[in-house]
Amino acid sequence: MSGLTFKLRDGLAGRFDLSGLVPHKLAGLDARDIAQIVVGKTRDHVNAGDLFEITGEAGDTITFIGTTAACDGLGSDLASGTIIVEGNAGAYAGRSMKSGRLDIRGSAGDFLAAGLTGGLVTVKGSAGDFVGAVLTGAKNGMAGGTVVVEGNIGERAGDRMRRGTIITRGKTGASAGSRMLGGTIWAEGGLGAAPGPLLRRGTLIAPSVERMTDTFADCGLHDLGIAAIMSNYFTETLGPLAPKPLPKLVRRYAGDLATAGKGEILIIA
Amino acid sequence: MSTASPTKTAAMINGIAIDDTFAEAFGMSGTGLIITADTPKWAMICATVMTGFGTSVIGCGAECGIDRVMAPSETPDGRPGVRVLMFGFSPDSLGPQLKNRVGQCVLTSPGSACFNGLESPKKLALSAGPRFFGDGWQTAKKLGKKRYWRVPVMDGEFIIEDKAGLTTDAVGGGNLLIIGRDRAGLLETTEAAVDAIAKVPDVITPFPGGIVRSGSKVGSKYKGAMASTNDAFCPVLRGAVKSELGQDTIAVLEIVIDGLTSAAVAQSMRVGLKAVVDVGAAKGVTRVSAGNYGGKLGAHHYHLKDLLP
Repeated sequence: MSGLTFKLRDGLAGRFDLSGLVPHKLAGLDARDIAQIVVGKTRDHVNAGDLFEITGEAGDTITFIGTTAACDGLGSDLASGTIIVEGNAGAYAGRSMKSGRLDIRGSAGDFLAAGLTGGLVTVKGSAGDFVGAVLTGAKNGMAGGTVVVEGNIGERAGDRMRRGTIITRGKTGASAGSRMLGGTIWAEGGLGAAPGPLLRRGTLIAPSVERMTDTFADCGLHDLGIAAIMSNYFTETLGPLAPKPLPKLVRRYAGDLATAGKGEILIIA
Repeated sequence: MSTASPTKTAAMINGIAIDDTFAEAFGMSGTGLIITADTPKWAMICATVMTGFGTSVIGCGAECGIDRVMAPSETPDGRPGVRVLMFGFSPDSLGPQLKNRVGQCVLTSPGSACFNGLESPKKLALSAGPRFFGDGWQTAKKLGKKRYWRVPVMDGEFIIEDKAGLTTDAVGGGNLLIIGRDRAGLLETTEAAVDAIAKVPDVITPFPGGIVRSGSKVGSKYKGAMASTNDAFCPVLRGAVKSELGQDTIAVLEIVIDGLTSAAVAQSMRVGLKAVVDVGAAKGVTRVSAGNYGGKLGAHHYHLKDLLP
């Protein structure tokens, strides 16, 4: 496994845009070129060499060590390879990522995996608001790929999400699945208040809901064929990262009936 | 009595003559489906009904059959399943058959679900038609590269995959003609051959019980009939027509084989032939031949001498 390591130096303040530090953008660059990539967001023009101690050679893996919540855009547009973040990630980690793997060993900020179309994003800690959501100016949010967060995630996860899967071992914040058009949000710790506002299609799965809105209809307990297919798929593709298989019977709420109403919230307890 | 026939013998095995001839088969389009249900019984009922009236493209529109029973661990939804295969002259002719058979026989069967059973870069629309039974309440769930449709029905949801794999390299019409002097023994022997062929993956024997008693020739004296009885292999016409049968022949049974690949058809003929020569002599089987049209119509020729056990 060849690759570069970026170890954060002490002492630099501000926010940093690390969206340029992904394998396909660094391919073919030498150490001097990489060190000169501008990562600062101010007139100071902080470059990668100022911010990081850089070792190794460009390859299919990049490791960031010691990053903080000020480090934005980690893994943006990732098209292949692996990015390991031994630290926290700021906003927009995995933004518009297409393939490959982004492995964040700390926590992530807002807009994690926003506009994701493929690949796997894992977060050991928690994630902020708008996980897998739509980016400003875009029509839809996440349209493929998988996000697995071991901790909690913030509000409005999956806003205008179209396809793909968001899994959290913890809870979601309020309004998960807002304006969602498809895909799956699976919160093993439960859904926050008022999930699925204006949910058109797609599936939210959880053992509990903090507060269900009146625009979701209780359809009762059901033995859904798709449940076993989903469980099998996640077990096959995610292995130990997969959520626990769904039980035979789930309680289905249909909604949001304030809009198309073809979405659903499945309560598994 | 004589076993003499106009056809040269390629080999004698266990007292059974193997003709020096070949089966002539045709290129076809094929697809596969996995049908699951709550129990093996209902998966089999559904598969049986879905593949019914699927003996010959000439009159049925498609040739259909059951490939094998599948364990729950092999199916996408972890339930008992059956893999069925369908063959037609072209993708265009298979499409409507798929739509009608799935719509009328799988969608309607209690607890059923329908999945792609052939991995292939070429695809046929599988859900087009059946999913619209949902009257707008149907929804899709895309997992990886596969899209599953969920259609609300009275016993829950009918799950159907969006696409089925398609091959245009399939072969239809591999065959064995099993000839004997005892009709009951001939049937037992042919059944044994069908059982042996059933163990070969990717093939079906689409006729009743895998066996045809009405082998046909191309054309007819009657206008509008595409095929008619194969008089050269009808024992009761021996003497009245240019017969292919010896004096001791009482009956002929045929096994027709369709496969997703030419290799699968050849292997099926090989194991079928072996089953016949293993048990047939004691049951009155005298000879094995194969049907062809002189080699001018079908692209695939399976010579019996190349398939000897």
